[in-house]
Amino acid sequence: MSRRYDSRTTIFSPEGRLYQVEYAQEAIGMAGTAIGVLSPLEGVVLACEKRVTSKLLDNDGSTEKCYVINDKLVCAVAGMTADASILINTARVHSQHYLKEYDEDIPIETLIKRVCDIKQGYTQHGGLRPFGVSFLYAGYDDRYNFQLFTSNPSGNYSGWKATSIGANLSASQTLLKKDYKDDISLGDACKLAIKVLSKTMDTSNVTKDKLEFATLSKLKSGKVMYKIWSEDEIDELIKVSGVLDDADLGDDE
Amino acid sequence: MSGYDSALSIFSPDGHVFQVEYASEAVRRGTCAVGVKGSSCVVLGCEKRTTLKLQDPRITPSKICKIDQHILLAFAGLNADARILVDKARVEAQSYRLTLEDSVTVEYLTKYVAGVQQRYTQSGGVRPFGIATIIAGFDANDNVPKLYQTEPSGVYNAWKAHAIGKSSKTVREFLEKHYEEDMDDATTIRLTIMSLLEVVQTGGKNIEVSVLRSGNRIQQLTSEEIKEYVDAIEAEKALESEKKKPKNKE
Amino acid sequence: MDIIIGLTVKEGTIIATSKAATRGISILKDNDDKTRQLNSHNLIAYTGESGDTVQFAEYIQANIQLSTMRENEIELSPKAVASFVRNQLATSIRSRKPYQVNALIGGYDTKTQKPSLSWVDYLGTYVELPYGAHGYSAFYCTSLFDKHYRKDMTIDEGLKLLQMCVDELNRRMPIDFKGVYVKIVDAEGIRQIDFN
Repeated sequence: MSRRYDSRTTIFSPEGRLYQVEYAQEAIGMAGTAIGVLSPLEGVVLACEKRVTSKLLDNDGSTEKCYVINDKLVCAVAGMTADASILINTARVHSQHYLKEYDEDIPIETLIKRVCDIKQGYTQHGGLRPFGVSFLYAGYDDRYNFQLFTSNPSGNYSGWKATSIGANLSASQTLLKKDYKDDISLGDACKLAIKVLSKTMDTSNVTKDKLEFATLSKLKSGKVMYKIWSEDEIDELIKVSGVLDDADLGDDE
Repeated sequence: MSGYDSALSIFSPDGHVFQVEYASEAVRRGTCAVGVKGSSCVVLGCEKRTTLKLQDPRITPSKICKIDQHILLAFAGLNADARILVDKARVEAQSYRLTLEDSVTVEYLTKYVAGVQQRYTQSGGVRPFGIATIIAGFDANDNVPKLYQTEPSGVYNAWKAHAIGKSSKTVREFLEKHYEEDMDDATTIRLTIMSLLEVVQTGGKNIEVSVLRSGNRIQQLTSEEIKEYVDAIEAEKALESEKKKPKNKE
Repeated sequence: MDIIIGLTVKEGTIIATSKAATRGISILKDNDDKTRQLNSHNLIAYTGESGDTVQFAEYIQANIQLSTMRENEIELSPKAVASFVRNQLATSIRSRKPYQVNALIGGYDTKTQKPSLSWVDYLGTYVELPYGAHGYSAFYCTSLFDKHYRKDMTIDEGLKLLQMCVDELNRRMPIDFKGVYVKIVDAEGIRQIDFN
């Protein structure tokens, strides 16, 4: 029945829904989870689950799910990475263009709005499929300080204190809701992120090669800067956070 | 259901353009928006979704958008579509000012928005905008409040009071019953909130209201102000039902 | 021979522009306002090829207003506005028919609570200055500013210094510029004041 409305590019179904967009969202629901936690005063953390892991995969320093847009904005991707790279490139161009035009960093929401406007365009014209990606954005500007956003294929975006995209959405969000506190420190935010991620991941034990971490925080100089974590740093966090102990306990039971 | 609804927007043998009708369904799925004209003001009210516990309360996209110093637009339907249409309207408002030195009239802007919506029902490879809008404002140097509505088809109308979106039929019927000519500002705001309360079960905290007056005066009611109105309305309702009770017993 | 002068004082920026609109040797009108309000805390004063000036200022005004609408009432900072104006002029001079416009932008940053004066010319030069002027008025006023200007002046002291400048201009300028309009940009916004 519904075949008729979804075989063409994006059109309305009789109930006023856009199936192509909903299917794109469906695809993202199967992608590796990414979790974002905001520490309002200290920073934002993005934690991602890498699905593509292999012993033969060479580490050339590139990341699979975390991307830098500018010094004060990093994003995590869930869905089709190839689609994402198109939008990330556009975001980088917009960000630099704004800096050139106004001599100020682009406000986070302004940039996200622009990327979302492009996503919206693909749901309305051109005869092309929508972008199959959701984003988590961790950003900083002088309007609202540290911020965390998500956006999805429909071109909608929203601001969060803690949220997730990708697989096991409801499970991870329930866990976040339970343990999030408004005055959480960045260190605790990292621990919370890895804890939730470890519980929602399909594999039983968390290892550094399955994770990607990025944080945004204030340096001692007061400058806000992103950081993409090295494997060693992730390993350290795994140890400190005690997620492995939890897993052991779980096995014992 | 016969192939005439899957190609983007074409007539079916019985004269329907299904894509446009389905777009109106998308509007009906959107949260409710109301506009009411008083003697010296226009009031726009919207149902506001509850902010979830983990949502950032600082970033709550409003459904009432400022188009220019003297015009507000409220919408019902797909949020992302609305952003695009609102942006087009804002650019047109400034561009009009630049070429003609005057600010746009509310009717001109409505006609423009409706025109854009129409174009998307008749151009190749596009779907219609899944939104309806209520446009309210005052023309320059004028004290007459203006209120218009546009639909995904590109149809537009002037209204004394109107509602779009989810359960808008109930709200419209309520407005038809209770609308009076020449209401003062407080009565107009009250009627707007009262009509929204017909469909917003959760009460005042899920309502946003903006009031426009002549001379570019746009006022967004605070949640406390809205609560005051809601409390007064509820108190009155309680009083009325109390009055009715003894009568029923008799 | 249009006059535009600006100076920043402790709590705001003062902008003065001549009232005469001239063409060749004639004065066309004596109540010409050579400023446009860009947003609630930014004012542009302009001089240059007549026609170009108003066209340019209103184009800038429309764009800054559009940005205010798009950003939900959050307005561009003085620095962002000045940078935008500079960019427009820098693009323009590399086009077939450049704008011949020089401008001063008086602004007040509501976030840092600092007044500012941006000096921009048709070549795309942009400098932030404590005081400045365009055209002939700069010759007569700069030395007065150099001698009497202090960073911590009050608005009243600033206006007194401006009065000295206008007196000097009245004494030395070869034509009557019909007095000046004076506007102040501060925390309260933009307002015009009586001055003669």
